[in-house]
Amino acid sequence: MADGKKAKIGGACDVVVIGAGNGGLAAALALAVRGAKPLVLEQHNAPGGFATSFVRGRFEFEAALHELSSIGPENNKGGVRRFLEDEGGVEIDWVPIPEAYRVILTDSGMDARLPFGEAPFIDAIEEKVPGSREPLTRYFALCREVSGALGLLAKTAANPSPKRIIKDLKKFVSESADPFEDARRNASNVVTFLRTLPKTVDEVTLKMGIPPKAVDLLYPYWCYLGIPMSRMNFTIWAAMLVDYIDYGAWIPRLRSQEMSYAIEARVRELGGRVEYNTRVDRVLVERGRVKGVVTASGETIKTSAVIANTSPTQLYGSLVSPASEAPAAALRNVNSRKLGGAGFVVYLGLDASPVELGVNDYGYFISKTMDTDAVYGSMEKLDLVDMQATICLNNAIPDCSPPGTTIISMTTLYKPGVWDAVKPKEYAALKNRLADAMITQFDDALGTDIRSRVEEIEVATPATFARYARSFNGGIYGYELDPWDSIIPRILSEKDESYIKGLEVAGGFATMGHGFSSSLISGRSAALKTLAGLGG
Amino acid sequence: MSDLIKFDGLKDMAALLELLPERKKRMKQASAEPQTGDAMAALARALHPELQRLVIADVRQEAAGARVFRLVPDKESGTAAPAVFRAGQYLSLKIDISGVRVARPYSISSSPADAVDSGFYEITIRKKDGGFLSEHAWKEWRVGTKIEASGPAGFFCVEPLRDARHIVGLAGGSGITPFRSMLKDIVETGADVKFTLLYGVNRPDEIMFKSDLESFVAQAPDRISVHFVCCEPDAAWCGPTGFLTADSIRKLAGDPAGKSFFICGPQAMYSFLETELKQFDLPNKRIRREVFGETADVAAHPDYPADAAGKSFSMTVHCGSETTVIPAKSDESALVALERAGIAPPSECRSGECGFCASILLNGKVFVIPETDRRRLAAKKFGVFHPCSSYPVSDIEVKVPLDKS
Repeated sequence: MADGKKAKIGGACDVVVIGAGNGGLAAALALAVRGAKPLVLEQHNAPGGFATSFVRGRFEFEAALHELSSIGPENNKGGVRRFLEDEGGVEIDWVPIPEAYRVILTDSGMDARLPFGEAPFIDAIEEKVPGSREPLTRYFALCREVSGALGLLAKTAANPSPKRIIKDLKKFVSESADPFEDARRNASNVVTFLRTLPKTVDEVTLKMGIPPKAVDLLYPYWCYLGIPMSRMNFTIWAAMLVDYIDYGAWIPRLRSQEMSYAIEARVRELGGRVEYNTRVDRVLVERGRVKGVVTASGETIKTSAVIANTSPTQLYGSLVSPASEAPAAALRNVNSRKLGGAGFVVYLGLDASPVELGVNDYGYFISKTMDTDAVYGSMEKLDLVDMQATICLNNAIPDCSPPGTTIISMTTLYKPGVWDAVKPKEYAALKNRLADAMITQFDDALGTDIRSRVEEIEVATPATFARYARSFNGGIYGYELDPWDSIIPRILSEKDESYIKGLEVAGGFATMGHGFSSSLISGRSAALKTLAGLGG
Repeated sequence: MSDLIKFDGLKDMAALLELLPERKKRMKQASAEPQTGDAMAALARALHPELQRLVIADVRQEAAGARVFRLVPDKESGTAAPAVFRAGQYLSLKIDISGVRVARPYSISSSPADAVDSGFYEITIRKKDGGFLSEHAWKEWRVGTKIEASGPAGFFCVEPLRDARHIVGLAGGSGITPFRSMLKDIVETGADVKFTLLYGVNRPDEIMFKSDLESFVAQAPDRISVHFVCCEPDAAWCGPTGFLTADSIRKLAGDPAGKSFFICGPQAMYSFLETELKQFDLPNKRIRREVFGETADVAAHPDYPADAAGKSFSMTVHCGSETTVIPAKSDESALVALERAGIAPPSECRSGECGFCASILLNGKVFVIPETDRRRLAAKKFGVFHPCSSYPVSDIEVKVPLDKS
């Protein structure tokens, strides 16, 4: 190298993973524990994608994670924790989130703090809105039935058909030797599951007799999926609600960056390779089969299997090479689907303690109203959005910043396209104007004065997410989960919608939808499918 | 409720199947046009280009043995316009010097409007500051020389949501360069801030940008004031003298309470001002420091392991698929050792801040100056280090990232 020759990645490998985001890392881990030697190529200089952190002054900010579902405590591990720890051998210091959320609706003045656990959660709503207990209890039973049935589907064959799903569900119910207590009770879970499958959240929820104000308190997690309740598929909502409320939420102690470095280190320990500053520009395809990848520096790596931690929109739109190998059906597929929200986050390091500031909760949903169509509508304009999801890290990890200081991050979403016309020279002022308005939104809702205590501020926009994570148009969510594009139709269509042999997608655009937990699980699935393909 | 519903396989199948025909219909109707790019990736590239190909359009002699190099886009090589920046930011210039690629950060001394409206950056280099790249620039750079640069970087910028409305700039020597950009920006944008600049120099002839600074004051006398403070004045000097101290700062800038202090200057000035500013009892947020590049004398740090001083170690470097063993001196950063050996991992700030050179320490020990250790907690836990701010104190084995370009 002393002659100045550029270092090369070299040669060929069995599986190339494009991108070290949650999906890519999980895929690499699942491959490596099964003896494959994945090569992970990441364009940025650290692992994680959105699962990252950054330092400003004496603060280290979490970039994206609010809370992970499917982790659970040591004695009752959730699926993601079992995968990472028991299967993957990845040790992470998990910290529980203290409460479900605090919801503040500024139009109506509603302000409630809701705990985890179904009974305490319903109690807290009943206290605010008398008459909610009975319908909410029925509602949660229904959600658990749907969630249990969905969990079961994870065990069905690789290429499920509608018939197969019904058969499996029936078999499951009749054999009744399974941990899903509620699903085992009677055959109704099959019916409930199938009945609600084509429904939106509103279509199911608003028929349950829950008082409207209680619905307002029930709905805040909608912004984690980012599609209004009039369109969001009920199945995925039920699964998410039950997961959070019944099992709680968790974060890694050293920010989500701890998780990504831990997985990356384990992948290397198991013989996988991870190369940074290495962008993949092309996925070589010949007659419908993956042949290799080409990096930005022009190096070709031969492989017959690629797991792409990216959006299929980018994959078929610009990565597959030659372009003629991107089938029209694949392009129609990605163009028919709606891109999810793009992220905007204000990170604040404050020079007062949470108690001094009067910021005593971990997670805040601050919204003008819980009319999710109206709030979603506000995401279509380049102005202050009607809702922010805000976390105060110190209220989960008290020593995450020096004594007498606080870390707060405020997140909102914009619809794809809203930022498209922004010119570079207007960018800094725009960021500032929106951040300013979000700080006011927070202070007005809580009656606090965090504004005067700002010691460090950073703002991430859709362009920031596009820069560091190469997410398509700055999106932080995958395709929207309308009933026709929710996870069951996606599972049922996987075989039909597999366009190129040896190519799998992992991450927030994969079958299971977006979010840290779903992305991790999607990586594992992609790895299993890839291994099955390599073996066959 | 659901207990009352009878299982009706056919009907429910139909419900399920309705979703699939709808899905197929929507996909059939959609366009088959590939989406080849996206606006946010384009905006990110415009704001943060990985590389800017620039060419020197003008070289101007400034006082105090400084030269101002005007850099414009090298359109032939594909850079159409200089990336927008915020006053106070720097460019990391990437130069091949006798086959060795080095990168050094230089504050931009021109204003954001100069870049946006007139299409240029200026950087200012003093010969006396020495250094690998400064000497080279003085010797070799002339109109027409092509220069590669990073996108604008750094956090030494006035931030309205954080900083006081009245800023006090404390400049030492060539640390004046980002302040020239900030003051020019205030004049050009009409920003609603007051800025008092105290510019400390050793001798009167070391003042750079004197007429520029005076003209900024003349254009915005209600917002900008500039005071030159000289250590070794000559007979003609009639301004304030001595170092920038708590007393002189208070005298020239007024009551420090409620003001933000921005410091940029030589390394010694930071430690001196640290003590002086303590007397003001300001909150942490009111003092902003520009990073100062690599530490000149690392062995002088009180925490430096004494037995490592003046030694040379071996560094086993894994980069891509290649492994090389190179020498590494204990008093030079690991990044310098890598560059000497012709291995140039990406780097920008050379101050431990930006993380571009982040590498993995597989074996051995490095000394990291605690004050400039900006690594993330998880990075530390998993053996990540920043070669630009880490000094080998044993034989080491490292994995460094490939250069992007």
